Amino acid sequence: MSSTGTQLEAPDSANPKPKLRALLVEDNASDAELMLRELRREGFDVATTVVQTAAEFRRRVKEELPDIILADYNLGEWRGVEALEILHGESLDIPVIIVTGALGDVTAVECIKQGATDYVLKDGLARLPEAIRRALREKQERTLRHQVEQDLAKKVDELARSNADLEQFAYVASHDLQEPLRMVAAYTQLLAERYKGKLDETADKFIGYASEGALRMQVLIQDLLAFSRVGRNTSASGSVDCNSVMEEVLQTLAATIQESGAVVTHGELPAVWADRTQMAQVLQNLVGNAIKFRGKEPPVVSVQAEKAEQHWLFRVSDNGIGIAPEYAENIFVVFQRLHARTEYPGNGIGLAICKKIVERYGGKIWVEAQTGSGSTFKFTMPLHGPNEHGANKREQARP
Amino acid sequence: MKPAPQLLIVDDNPADVGLAREGLARSAYRGQINSAGDGVEAMAFLNRREKYASAARPDLVILDLNLPKKDGLAVLAGMKADPELRRIPVVIFSTSQLNRDIARSYELGANCYVSKPGNLNEFFSAVKSIEEFWFGPVSLPPRGE
Amino acid sequence: MKPDEVDILLVDDSQDDVDLTLHALRTENLANRVFIARDGEEALDFLFCSGPHAQRSFDHPPKLVLLDLKMPKVDGMQVLKQIKGDERTKTIPVVLMTSSREERDMASGYDLGVNSYIQKPVDFGEFRNVVKLLGLYWLVTNRPPIANGKPAVAKQGR
Repeated sequence: MSSTGTQLEAPDSANPKPKLRALLVEDNASDAELMLRELRREGFDVATTVVQTAAEFRRRVKEELPDIILADYNLGEWRGVEALEILHGESLDIPVIIVTGALGDVTAVECIKQGATDYVLKDGLARLPEAIRRALREKQERTLRHQVEQDLAKKVDELARSNADLEQFAYVASHDLQEPLRMVAAYTQLLAERYKGKLDETADKFIGYASEGALRMQVLIQDLLAFSRVGRNTSASGSVDCNSVMEEVLQTLAATIQESGAVVTHGELPAVWADRTQMAQVLQNLVGNAIKFRGKEPPVVSVQAEKAEQHWLFRVSDNGIGIAPEYAENIFVVFQRLHARTEYPGNGIGLAICKKIVERYGGKIWVEAQTGSGSTFKFTMPLHGPNEHGANKREQARP
Repeated sequence: MKPAPQLLIVDDNPADVGLAREGLARSAYRGQINSAGDGVEAMAFLNRREKYASAARPDLVILDLNLPKKDGLAVLAGMKADPELRRIPVVIFSTSQLNRDIARSYELGANCYVSKPGNLNEFFSAVKSIEEFWFGPVSLPPRGE
Repeated sequence: MKPDEVDILLVDDSQDDVDLTLHALRTENLANRVFIARDGEEALDFLFCSGPHAQRSFDHPPKLVLLDLKMPKVDGMQVLKQIKGDERTKTIPVVLMTSSREERDMASGYDLGVNSYIQKPVDFGEFRNVVKLLGLYWLVTNRPPIANGKPAVAKQGR
């Protein structure tokens, strides 16, 4: 690419005359002289080279990388407009102004179409300085914008790579950790079984703690694996009927629902664009939590959805123990728990997984709750998938 | 009187071999259990080479996949290519849940594929299941000493 | 039951044995995805997606073939040979479940690559137990081979 644009303001006391390096493609010496005179009169400190043939042009333009090219249209064997082709071939972005004698409007438009920035008639040279200024300004803006785009692309690339690295790490770490952990969990359990009551009480306690710790680690790592897997599989998204997903979720939670005497209902739920398994994960985690964090009464859980302007709004409400507002954001953080393990089991990863999944589709998730009076978890999902658009949306049939 | 059943466990993790032995002890199996810690040792045992000259041919081989020196699939391929060994049923017993490991195992002639569970009780269940089936109703191929 | 949802292909010409087998599988809730072929020819049509079963696809093989040995038209050994001899079908688990007491049959079976060989017990009770064990082992404990690049989903353990 060519040099960065030259800033061309009218010269003043603070600003010494800015130098303009121009390459003139002109076979008529006096025409060239006229142009220069016009520019100097406007205050440009212009340094020029004049070329006549295409070969000369190609050589000079690459050598000098001028700020601007002023080309005559008619040059004998070649058209000044061909200079544009040469520039294009050399990947040079230098503004070209066609300065020429009579030129029909049609040809003028052709020049612009071919890439000339402007055209000025030789008997209207008064326009030339302004045309040059404008061309240089546009060039500068282009360069700036390109730079910004490049920087952004680089940052996005770095971020994507960093993310991929992190996910890879989480996956490999959890995966490779499972083997030695399996050994610890298995043998502490065997120890517990074989030697319970045969050593002393302290030994029983020690073995018990070790065994519990190992088992908990196993679940933790499985949870971590599940969490790190959320971003991985991008290919399985499609139109998902949330009603049928709810049916699956109710099946999966059947035992828990029965044990707790829970009543779980849902309204008419929409079809959304997502990975079906992940949608199921979100609903299962939210409904499961609603049942788990119950008070003295049997849990009553309701899942609803309504259409807002820009998204679907899902609501999972319960009559459980609620959440103190000051913890409302905290609970979505990985492994954050608000209760002792003895009060309510679990690792605190369910909501983090929900958040990761929902945000992956551009949605948001949050909770509205008070301590002691139940919670309502809300999350949004976009109305349409990437290939669907409002006017054209086909009816999504229930399976 | 029928000779005692012979089982060969091929696994590089002595802890896992220990778990399998424990699982078998809790089952009805009262036969002999031998183990090999890598693929080369496994083949030497099966081919009765050097120190294994008087080893008994196993009635069943429980084979892990990730082994040093020579991996499980190579052992499997070696067994199925050998007319003296190809009849011996092979149960792949591995933590790997990779589709390609399962597919390759069947392609190379594994009789079946059982995933090693992470949970101890499930592990024992799996071992019991293997023992119950292969040393239960199954007619094992004649040992052809 | 759609053609791609068959778990077990039961190949047996004896109605009594078929009934007994289905009954045993039913007690373990494994009976609703069983397809019955009365002879070797039908079994081969099913597995090779030909004849009356031309609409079947190789992408959804059964998780288990229970094969009797002595059958009219095409006998069990022939069927086994064809299954294990073809790239498209050789990984399908085949269990020879037969009343044949001939050791020679057993040896040939294993040589051809049968996954396991079981002699049908004479006693009804024993027969039921064997089928139960069989079904549980191949449909629950075992991980079936891959179909269509995705693993055929093994039933959840109990």
